[in-house]
Amino acid sequence: MKIEIQNLTKKFGAFAALKSISLDVASGELLALLGPSGCGKTTLLRILAGLEFADSGAIRFDGDDATSQSVRARKVGFVFQHYALFRHMTVFENIAFGLRVRPRKLRPSRQAIHDKVQELLNLVKLEEMAARYPTQLSGGQRQRVALARALAVEPRVLLLDEPFGALDAKVRQELRRWLRRLHDEIHITSVFVTHDQEEALEVADRVVVMNAGRIEQIGTSDAVYNQPATPFVYHFLGQVNLFHGRVEGDKLNVGGMLIDKPDGVQDEAETATIYVRPHMLEIDPRPNQHQHFRATIKHINAAGPQVKVELITAWGAPIQVDLSQERFRVLALKKETEVFVSPREIRVFAE
Amino acid sequence: MLNQATVQRRGRAIAAQVKTEPAAVRWLLIAAALGFMALFVLLPLAVVFVSAFEKGMGVYLASIREPDALAAIQLTLLTAALAVPLNLIFGVIAAWAIAKFEFKGKNVLITLIDLPFSVSPVVSGLIYVLIFGLHGWFGSWLNEHDIKIIFAVPGIVLATIFVTFPFVARELIPLMQAQGNEEEEAALSLGASGWQTFIRVTLPNLKWGLLYGVILCNARAMGEFGAVSVVSGHIRGLTNTMTLHVEILYNEYNSAAAFAVASLLALLALVTLVAKSVVEWKTKQKSHVESSPSVQEEIA
Repeated sequence: MKIEIQNLTKKFGAFAALKSISLDVASGELLALLGPSGCGKTTLLRILAGLEFADSGAIRFDGDDATSQSVRARKVGFVFQHYALFRHMTVFENIAFGLRVRPRKLRPSRQAIHDKVQELLNLVKLEEMAARYPTQLSGGQRQRVALARALAVEPRVLLLDEPFGALDAKVRQELRRWLRRLHDEIHITSVFVTHDQEEALEVADRVVVMNAGRIEQIGTSDAVYNQPATPFVYHFLGQVNLFHGRVEGDKLNVGGMLIDKPDGVQDEAETATIYVRPHMLEIDPRPNQHQHFRATIKHINAAGPQVKVELITAWGAPIQVDLSQERFRVLALKKETEVFVSPREIRVFAE
Repeated sequence: MLNQATVQRRGRAIAAQVKTEPAAVRWLLIAAALGFMALFVLLPLAVVFVSAFEKGMGVYLASIREPDALAAIQLTLLTAALAVPLNLIFGVIAAWAIAKFEFKGKNVLITLIDLPFSVSPVVSGLIYVLIFGLHGWFGSWLNEHDIKIIFAVPGIVLATIFVTFPFVARELIPLMQAQGNEEEEAALSLGASGWQTFIRVTLPNLKWGLLYGVILCNARAMGEFGAVSVVSGHIRGLTNTMTLHVEILYNEYNSAAAFAVASLLALLALVTLVAKSVVEWKTKQKSHVESSPSVQEEIA
């Protein structure tokens, strides 16, 4: 089902949680709402579900206005961060709940409910757990029960609020791959909220990066990571080094290093901020033909697939450079030595 | 391996030593606590039953079967039968409002719920006399319409409701606050109506807390003396509850009969204690299951 969100605004007292949000979710898409806590992503999700209501703006489900529909009428599946399983019911009864509370005319037969629950238990791979209570399950199992429960009513949309937030790192990774595979199987339009960039980039078809009640960027994982639209997105998705440059004619001067002034900088601008990812900086023991600046190595962390080198530039700013293990061995870098750093790819945002 | 086991055992022995006081201190404290309880709780309780049966089974049964005593027992049961369900409904509504909604004056409401605990029951009774009594606010109007509240059954029921109303609400508020709204939201998102959500999700989660509150509320409703004494007027066979009947018999030096009726109240207290322990045990068992280590993570 297709979702259209237009100019959604929500205030809690004096705090503006959402500032005129517009967003389209394509049918069958798996969309991530990504942002730091307090950015409004959960509020947006709860408004989509009908658990909260917007102050202004409109929501359309497949073209039909759903803005003031109750949560009951919207037929959405909602998965809570802390599962919200019915603690006094078995796994089976939890999943059957949505079918059992239907009005008599619409309620499936006992056998049909039983079959449907079994089918969902198979889907989430918890066939053996039907008679258990939520407290007898692990966190990952509980979240899968919550998912099966939400799917039992055959919702038009699946909404997940930080679905893996309460799980430990390893389980979280397994479960999000599992969710991706599940979505590839059942193709239900899904929106999930997360503050974990890795999770959003790995699982979602498209990522919506939010900050302070606004959308910063909408795009595929590749687009938001490699072509960040705003400084915020640059900061939020991965590590980034910042340099302040002075505009000198058609060049930018960064600590003595002259680089061509990129298109984004207006003619009358005097300064610009340059963003470079740590793996887009090169270290050389001697000056080379590229533009470069001087820096002193302060710390080396060689544990992991990439070697993280922390340096202080000649003008006193801390920066980070990521090198491959091979390159690190070739360079034979040592602490407190001076090296030459040159950027391979930069991004400029005018001030 | 052997070494390790020895070290472990020694470690445990040290830990045990560190944790416990010397045996003498332990015994002294336990003996003091038990002695105190025996002197101030068990002894009086025993005296009630011994005195009740002092003049034999015949007198005991006669004291209970006497018409005034039967009327008092009836009135007490009636009062509890009205006060407890009303306070149950009120308690659930108040706890729901406080735990699940944000509104202005919430703290005032919480304080008001506690008021009957902090005010002396005699004062509670007097409040009703001031409001409904012959010289009270509504006194003349009630008199004109021939409605009797003070020195009649309605006054007794009202005073009892007032004195016992914190029990259920007080028990439920922290429970509901701890449980939050998520399960209800989940139920609604699955298509349940408000009523279905309340019956199938909210109420089962409150079950034991509710029962606990009702037991305490009932015990107090049957045992209340001060507030009821002020509004009752002590009319034999009409407005005497069991507690008031005991007082009258005692003042008439009819101690065997007084203790016979008192023994019924004491019995009620014992039943309440047992019921309370069972509920506590059940609740504990439930939370034990909840805190038990969860099974190994296994994802196919």
